[in-house]
Amino acid sequence: MKKVKVATAWLDGCSGCHMSLLDMDAVIISLARKIDIVYGPLVDAQEFPEDVDITLVEGAVSSQEDLNRIQKIRQRTNLLIALGDCAVTGNVPAMRNSIPVNKLLQRIYVEGAQEGKTIPTLGVPPLLKHARPLREFVKVDLCLPGCPPPAKSIVGVITNLLEGKKPEANLTLKFG
Amino acid sequence: MSQKKLSIRIDGELISALEGQTILEAAKANGKYIPTLCALEGLTPVGACRICIVEVSGVGRLLPACTTPIQEGMSVITNSPKLTLYRRISVELLLVERNHVCAVCVSNGHCELQSMATALGISTVRFAYNYPKLPADLSHPRFVLDHNRCILCTRCVRVCAELEGAHVWNITSRGIHARVVSDLNQKWGESASCTNCGKCVQACPTGALAEKGRAVEEMVKKDDSIRSLAHRREVQA
Amino acid sequence: MPRIQDIGAFSAVREAGLAKLLPPVPRVAIGMGTCGRGNGAEGLQHAFAEAIQRSGMDVFLTGVGCFGACFEEPLVNVRLPGKPLLILRRVQADDALRILHDLSMGNITPEHIYCKIEEWEHITGNLRYGRGYPEVPSWNDVPFFKGQKKIVLRNCGLINPDDIEEYIGVGGYQALYKVLIDGRPEVVIEQIKASKLRGRGGAGFLTGNKWEFLNKAKSDRKYIICNADEGDPGAYMNRNEIESDPHALLEGMIIGAYVMGATEGIVYVRAEYPLAVHRLNRAIEQAHEYGMLGDNILGRGFKFDIEVVEGAGAFVCGEETALIASLEGEAGRPRPRPPFPAQKGLWGHPTNINNVETWYNITPIVTRGPAWFSETGSPKSSGTKVFSLVGKVRNTGLVEMPLGTPLKTFVYDIGEGGVAGRAIKSVQTGGPSGGCIPIEMFDTPVDYESLAQLGSIMGSGGMVIMDEENCMVDVARFFIEFTHSESCGKCIPCRVGLNKSLRILNRLTEGAGTMHHLELLDELSRYIRECSLCGLGQTAPNPVLTTLRHFRNEFEDHIVARRCLAGVCEELALSPCENSCPLHMNIPRFLQLYKEQRLDDAFESVIMDNPLPSSTGRVCQHPCDNRCRRLTLDEAVNMREVHRFIADSVFNSDRRDEMFKRILARKLEPTGRKIAIAGAGPAGLTAAFYLAMLGHDVTVYDSKAEAGGMLRFALPEYRLPKSALHHEIELIEKLGVKFIFNTRVGTDISLNDLDDRFDGILISIGTWKESGLHQPGAELKGVYPALNFLEAEARGEEMPIGRKVAVIGGGNAAIDSARSALRKGAAVTVFYRREVKDMPAIAEETHAARDEGAKFVFLAAPHRVIGDQKGNVKAIEILKTRLGEYDKSGRRKPIPTDEIQRFDCDSVIYAIGESVDLDFARASGLSLKESGTIEVNRFTLETSRPRFYAGGDVTTGASNVSTAMSYGKQAARSLDLQLMETNRWDKIFPVFEYEQTPPEEPSPSRRHNGHVIAPSARSRSNAEVVIGLTQEEALDECCRCLRCDVKAANPS
Repeated sequence: MKKVKVATAWLDGCSGCHMSLLDMDAVIISLARKIDIVYGPLVDAQEFPEDVDITLVEGAVSSQEDLNRIQKIRQRTNLLIALGDCAVTGNVPAMRNSIPVNKLLQRIYVEGAQEGKTIPTLGVPPLLKHARPLREFVKVDLCLPGCPPPAKSIVGVITNLLEGKKPEANLTLKFG
Repeated sequence: MSQKKLSIRIDGELISALEGQTILEAAKANGKYIPTLCALEGLTPVGACRICIVEVSGVGRLLPACTTPIQEGMSVITNSPKLTLYRRISVELLLVERNHVCAVCVSNGHCELQSMATALGISTVRFAYNYPKLPADLSHPRFVLDHNRCILCTRCVRVCAELEGAHVWNITSRGIHARVVSDLNQKWGESASCTNCGKCVQACPTGALAEKGRAVEEMVKKDDSIRSLAHRREVQA
Repeated sequence: MPRIQDIGAFSAVREAGLAKLLPPVPRVAIGMGTCGRGNGAEGLQHAFAEAIQRSGMDVFLTGVGCFGACFEEPLVNVRLPGKPLLILRRVQADDALRILHDLSMGNITPEHIYCKIEEWEHITGNLRYGRGYPEVPSWNDVPFFKGQKKIVLRNCGLINPDDIEEYIGVGGYQALYKVLIDGRPEVVIEQIKASKLRGRGGAGFLTGNKWEFLNKAKSDRKYIICNADEGDPGAYMNRNEIESDPHALLEGMIIGAYVMGATEGIVYVRAEYPLAVHRLNRAIEQAHEYGMLGDNILGRGFKFDIEVVEGAGAFVCGEETALIASLEGEAGRPRPRPPFPAQKGLWGHPTNINNVETWYNITPIVTRGPAWFSETGSPKSSGTKVFSLVGKVRNTGLVEMPLGTPLKTFVYDIGEGGVAGRAIKSVQTGGPSGGCIPIEMFDTPVDYESLAQLGSIMGSGGMVIMDEENCMVDVARFFIEFTHSESCGKCIPCRVGLNKSLRILNRLTEGAGTMHHLELLDELSRYIRECSLCGLGQTAPNPVLTTLRHFRNEFEDHIVARRCLAGVCEELALSPCENSCPLHMNIPRFLQLYKEQRLDDAFESVIMDNPLPSSTGRVCQHPCDNRCRRLTLDEAVNMREVHRFIADSVFNSDRRDEMFKRILARKLEPTGRKIAIAGAGPAGLTAAFYLAMLGHDVTVYDSKAEAGGMLRFALPEYRLPKSALHHEIELIEKLGVKFIFNTRVGTDISLNDLDDRFDGILISIGTWKESGLHQPGAELKGVYPALNFLEAEARGEEMPIGRKVAVIGGGNAAIDSARSALRKGAAVTVFYRREVKDMPAIAEETHAARDEGAKFVFLAAPHRVIGDQKGNVKAIEILKTRLGEYDKSGRRKPIPTDEIQRFDCDSVIYAIGESVDLDFARASGLSLKESGTIEVNRFTLETSRPRFYAGGDVTTGASNVSTAMSYGKQAARSLDLQLMETNRWDKIFPVFEYEQTPPEEPSPSRRHNGHVIAPSARSRSNAEVVIGLTQEEALDECCRCLRCDVKAANPS
């Protein structure tokens, strides 16, 4: 049987959701018989591949780079899952949203800095006005809220999808 | 004085309830659940959150269970796809209106808004977030008011006016700019009328009003105490 | 004045009042409502006072309220003893002396005369002014008042609102007296119930039932409240009523108080109505003085008082529970009902709240009885309603009509239609929370149920007319913005729901909306309507729901095409001219480029936006002229003539080949895709140009022997010289487009054949079928369809028309035929079944025809053509028509009369509408619309058959050159996108650097029009009639552009 291609991606988030993903411990071995993890912080691939079956995305869309990435991911993914609160609601990254970007950078890199008081520009993607959840930019097929979502839920959703069941009915998560 | 008993149907089941009771009271007395957010037993209902809307046969509009008095022969539907949808929209709108960041909230895990969202099966909202810039009032020695988490249910306003009799709280401005204020829009810590009783904090369904010094997930509200206090008052009266 | 305690005293006051209304000396009364004052009534009053003093005449000068025709303010009514009351309009201070002088001579001043009143029905009494002035129309013979029935406004504009004696003079307070004497409140309640009067605040609850509730409520204190918190934008019925006739309100309330057993009355009125508050307070003072208020009213022992409370301006306080909260000193936020005010209202006591206008109806019902009252109106909605007719309509003001009157009566009869000839498209009733009703439904009777069925409401009676310059998405956004800002914030649906609706609507007007937004908006609106706590939220989504229902196309335009046809949403248009241009030419750019002396760039800019610039520069309907912002300063920039000038300058110079090379250089690499176009008319040629530029292999088929379609065969040489067309077609040929002539698609080559050989097919065959003349005699020799005649002329074939020609029709084809016939030496008469203003032909062309000697007979439809023995045309009989009701085009329908007129003529040319060749359309197997045109997707122009596209007149029905071209352009873009699966459109267009600074402080300047050859010199010649601009003039026109395309001022 052909293995299901799964990717993960990490936008503006703390990586906690990926940690939670790893928390599935030994289950990953049995899952690995059915899926290939083709892209993500946990694997080596440099370029997001074409025709991915499922992608789990952690984090909010916060910078222009995040936006480009999520659009590419959407184009190349069959089923897109927003993984965790940042991807679903904006969560902590969105707490900056009521502050104008230039003020924010000024406060952190100039007023708050001990040395080298300049706002970095080289190699840093420009921030969008707001950090916003994935859904406000691309179509999201499934939301897995939680900060982070428990490993169990993540496994549950993936297993359900592999078995061809509708995953949402089995969600018993708290929102936020 | 013995109150007259009326017969009504809730979700098809015939129950009897006292004249003068609201649909919500009648349902509760008969073990029927109707979801609520702004209602708190013991306080005057205001019908603000529209979570408790029900369908009443023969009435074209949806009615809030908390303020609608029962009538003989009334038939009430408490659950339908439409009611669920509309309740969900109400909760979704509350979630996008202000900055509800559960992950860093003192009430995470003990929040009525959060649990209502879960109960209604909300895993995402379909509306764009507002991200308003809102202050928090930290001036009170024991309590905080964080407008980011306020859902304008006015439980604090009512508990303070009706049970404590201090009438510290009110709502200022209108529409999307409406906000809870203490006294005449003074800092809470400088309020002359506040008795520091903390009833408002216990009545608040979210983390908007909280005790100082609580970390994330640590603020567990004792709204039962409000209920029993109200009940005692009623008995005394 | 002692308080009136008996009938004797009462009668004495009545006599005194009458003496003021019908004085033995001339009476001059100035309309002193807010509308009158806003137009200078106060200055006018001073002027009259001064003039009277100076002349020493004995004139009774006074002030009255508003008579309703606010658009004609300041209104003044004057009366000579024994003569009718004359209503004068638009009277200015300088006119005072002359009017007075004329009066002293027993004359009337003709310029200002609006109408006269010989006798007036005040309902409570009847006033006979006198008879005379046969030449002056009676008030309800002028369009604005025709059909109006003034029950509520019975005294408005006729009596002095500051004088209780005048109110008593026309029978005021008699009904109160009668009720008090009679002493049986239940009888009055029965009367009100029997009248079926419904609350005029909007909800339409039966007033009698509401009164009965309070009457039966047991309490030692009961309140009655008049809700005068009129906060709807554009609505001012209540303001005017109180300003013009405050005592009628008081009388209604005092009767109500007595009947319901109320002890205190309150009028809750907007603080923004200072004049109304002032007059009301004055009226209350006088009512006290005369014994109508206070202890022992009219000596009958009844005690009651009225207090005026000014609201602080919150719209939501019009909601009764919020109003009560406001009266109690709380913030104006609604409370849940039940308990209803009749059970537990102000300060917890039973309370009755009625709208101003409801109270005004009480006295008439008591006076004349319920049967009389319910004679007016419809069965379920009795009586009249006052509406404030505002917006894009010629006559605006307060209109009182029987309920059940159809909407179109308001719009077309009373309002007399659109402003500046623009088409009306919608009416919004009921204020900001009413719905928008489209023109197709203007037959709807205005009553509570009918409006509700359409998703609108009666509301308090606002009626806002909108025309083609209103964007319905923006209209919805505007009203949601209003209700959003007025929401009290108590319940979630209204507070947050409207906030989210507004944000979505903002996105749509910015062109950032998606189709998903429409679904969300619809769902959200239904939720807000069903779940909100009070009337504000429950009705606030109406504008959104109704526009979504009736104007969905406009929403889709904003989302899919990112266009706002009305030109309102600024983010979606470069400039008003660009937005109005069917081809969306970047007009400011070519004007600026030419201004910078860059003819080559200007030409490239023009031709890339419009491949037939020389032709359209002559014959376009130039909608840009009507949208130019320069119109607000002086005259529109002559954009059409400038682009004609730019095109001709290059086409007729040695720059031509150079420029052709430059265009050819922009052509994309060959794609290897083959496209067939059926029809070499404006649409086909345009599509061919762009598809060739995009690198496709294009073949154009046409049934005629040359390219150009209507441009060549329907437009006469003197309007469009074929040499202009020649250059344009040459360029298209140079791009590699192949033409196959004398080949009719569908007959000579089948659609299946095209399907096999091409990757994409565009059908743009135009509308060449002249609608037949079905009257007797149509078969006679000398009866010609206009298109055949014009085509024969274009080919240089001789068609015998004789010396006298009758042309039937009012469109461009009719006018062109008339002018061509004139050039053959014939005498021409054009017969048109409607009026001159209804003619679809370009106005300049109609004028030109008239100048060249064509005669016009309007309101004339063909009846039959009469022939001689040889079967030749001898004469035509026409049937005179009269104008009937307005049809869906907003024009009045011509209705045949029995008057027949005969005109001798040698031939008849008819141009009564062109349509698609139905045989072809049916045979094509493509889905058709009812009109016989080919059905396409509005945005992609795809037909029902894959790979087949259609555009131009064949999809729209006969239109005009630039519109047809726009379809060609759209089809090319859509075809390319489908074939290539990537958006390559922008690649063919050049980018120019040019000045981005708007002109400083523009000063008025004259528009340059193309030079016209004198009628005498041109009427027998085929030489072009309109010669283009000179170089200086063209440059001058470019400099007149205000550069609306520059959105942000350049930082200097």
